[in-house]
Amino acid sequence: MFKKIAAVLLAAATVFSLAGCTATSRTSATASGTTATASGTTAASSAAASNKTKKDPYTDSIKIAYIAHDLSTPNNQAWLEGIQRECASWSNIDVQSFNGESSAETQVQIMSDVINQKFDAIILQCSDGTALAPSVKQAEEAGIPVITLNLDADTIHSALVMAVDYDAGRMVADEMAKEMGETGNVVIIQGVAGLKRTDNLEKGFRDTLSSKYPNMKIVDAQSASFEKETAITVMNSFMQSHSDIKGVFCINDAMAEGAALAAQSAGKKGEMYIWGADGEKDALSMIESGDMAGTIYTNSWDEGSTAAKIALLMVGSDYSSSVLTATPQVIMEPVVVTKDTVSSISQEDRW
Amino acid sequence: MKKKIQWGKFSKPMILVAFVIILTILRPDSFPTLGNISNVLWSVSVYGIMVCGTIFVFLVGGIDLSIGSLCGLSAVVIVKTIHAFGDTEGGVAAGIMAALLVGALAGVIHGFVITKFKVPAFLVTFATSSIFLGLSMVLTNNKIISCLGPDLFTAIGMMKILGFPIPIYVMLIIAIVSWFVLRKTPFGRYMYAIGGNPAAARLSGINDTGLTFLAYIFSGISTALGGIVLASMTQQCMASTGSGYETEVITAAVIGGVSLLGGEGTVPGAIFGAVIIGLLNNGLNLMSVPSTEHGLVKGIVIIAAVAFDALQHQDQAKKGFSFFSFGKSKKTA
Repeated sequence: MFKKIAAVLLAAATVFSLAGCTATSRTSATASGTTATASGTTAASSAAASNKTKKDPYTDSIKIAYIAHDLSTPNNQAWLEGIQRECASWSNIDVQSFNGESSAETQVQIMSDVINQKFDAIILQCSDGTALAPSVKQAEEAGIPVITLNLDADTIHSALVMAVDYDAGRMVADEMAKEMGETGNVVIIQGVAGLKRTDNLEKGFRDTLSSKYPNMKIVDAQSASFEKETAITVMNSFMQSHSDIKGVFCINDAMAEGAALAAQSAGKKGEMYIWGADGEKDALSMIESGDMAGTIYTNSWDEGSTAAKIALLMVGSDYSSSVLTATPQVIMEPVVVTKDTVSSISQEDRW
Repeated sequence: MKKKIQWGKFSKPMILVAFVIILTILRPDSFPTLGNISNVLWSVSVYGIMVCGTIFVFLVGGIDLSIGSLCGLSAVVIVKTIHAFGDTEGGVAAGIMAALLVGALAGVIHGFVITKFKVPAFLVTFATSSIFLGLSMVLTNNKIISCLGPDLFTAIGMMKILGFPIPIYVMLIIAIVSWFVLRKTPFGRYMYAIGGNPAAARLSGINDTGLTFLAYIFSGISTALGGIVLASMTQQCMASTGSGYETEVITAAVIGGVSLLGGEGTVPGAIFGAVIIGLLNNGLNLMSVPSTEHGLVKGIVIIAAVAFDALQHQDQAKKGFSFFSFGKSKKTA
């Protein structure tokens, strides 16, 4: 883990090589294309940094705003802790967190407050990428770099730090296929529709099954709105209407835990391969106990601190996002966790 | 007048039977099984438990918007207490007591502010809702706290007796208690009187302040009980536990014929409302209706059911005629 942090730091130190090694541009996926974007950025940055005040991140007083989607969820909290840890050693940096309460309107309100108060950087999870786009644009125009976390904004901004989504769905499909012998019935427990991340997760899973494993059939898919207790009910009805479910893919871990509890209470513990995504602490212990088959783990603390590093980097540079042709993406390394590998994630990395 | 069959009385059981028949025809293999019926009741048990106490508040013409976050707070309190006692059985007992106490205390605060300062219940409970959520956030440090043991704790939400999980029995017991209090004691009749006509009730010597107080305490206690069951079902607590439950509970009550203006409604009616919501969700899931269409179907079916119910009552009042004017009265559970 330390190695990865070091790698990110190194990347951060050399400003625009960052785009070359860990980040890929949205429009150009090839390495050469990305480098081209990055070098274009370097050339223009000195000219276009008009309304941005450069600050020294080691001495000047700096205010960073973290606007969460919903602060009461574990990964939002882990991101906040990651950001705080990153900034803890410097007394000149002040991190303030704001709760978006899962509402784009609330976030728009908070964004305008934060811009008026002249924060130096904003770390944001967009509850609705389209609704937040004007606010993000306004902030960037005011010289405040915006770094989005997992939930992207539909406008070009300083950076997007994200966990894999489409690929995570693909990984789950591959792992599940291995466990099920590439045949059997599968159900999906969905989150709230319309969020890019969750839609991509599901798409990755479905695409992989239909292209690679034709004998694995998705027999049902229902939403449990990310909630554990709702997932119990949904899983119960799945077990009523389909007697031969072998694989369960839940878009987040909370729902996978709920599905596992339902299976446990129906006396079917271990008979189904229940997969989640996120890698939160409770899911990891349920994998250890054999209730869940696996999850795709992302170190959310690391993700938060990566966002903070990028924010500080932006604050301390002449850079302006107005020269970007696409939002640079930093993609966190996903870890496939199963009963065999769960012990490799140490206690201090469990958020 | 005396001889006429009160059709309005049977419209709710009729709707329920209609639901069951339709779902049985549509899904003969998966719907009418003991396991599925138990799942439906299990899924509404927390709402059912909460509505049995909150109905008192509705009857006296008040409203309690804080039940969602109070449910979460009691979940936090029981889990925290169990951990404080080192995950022992004694800790579970202490946790249950503590959570119920918190619920009762919340009721006392509501009752006090509402009756002493004459602040509208809507405002008071809206504000306390935010306080309870804030308290939960501080207590949990905004994290999920899991509680996988002792067995006594997880049994509350999960253990099955005769094929039915314990929350269903809890719901039944509290429903019977609350029905008994409302129907068979003078205390219950006073509740209806206060909601129906507060001035008249006061003139006839009913202690409306004291009874309003009690109504909020009942609401708090039943909500805490709901929180205990929910914590055990999910084996965890967090600040957002129970968020949005107030809407579900109020919806269940209104579908069940409880008037938000006070003085009208019954416990079986409110439970009926909760079960209808549960049956709807269950039916949509069993028929594999995509989640994006759930809201649409649910809204239409709820309006149809409530309109049918209202029609029966109206007809009864106006002309003694009913939509269902055939022979005998069928009494169903």
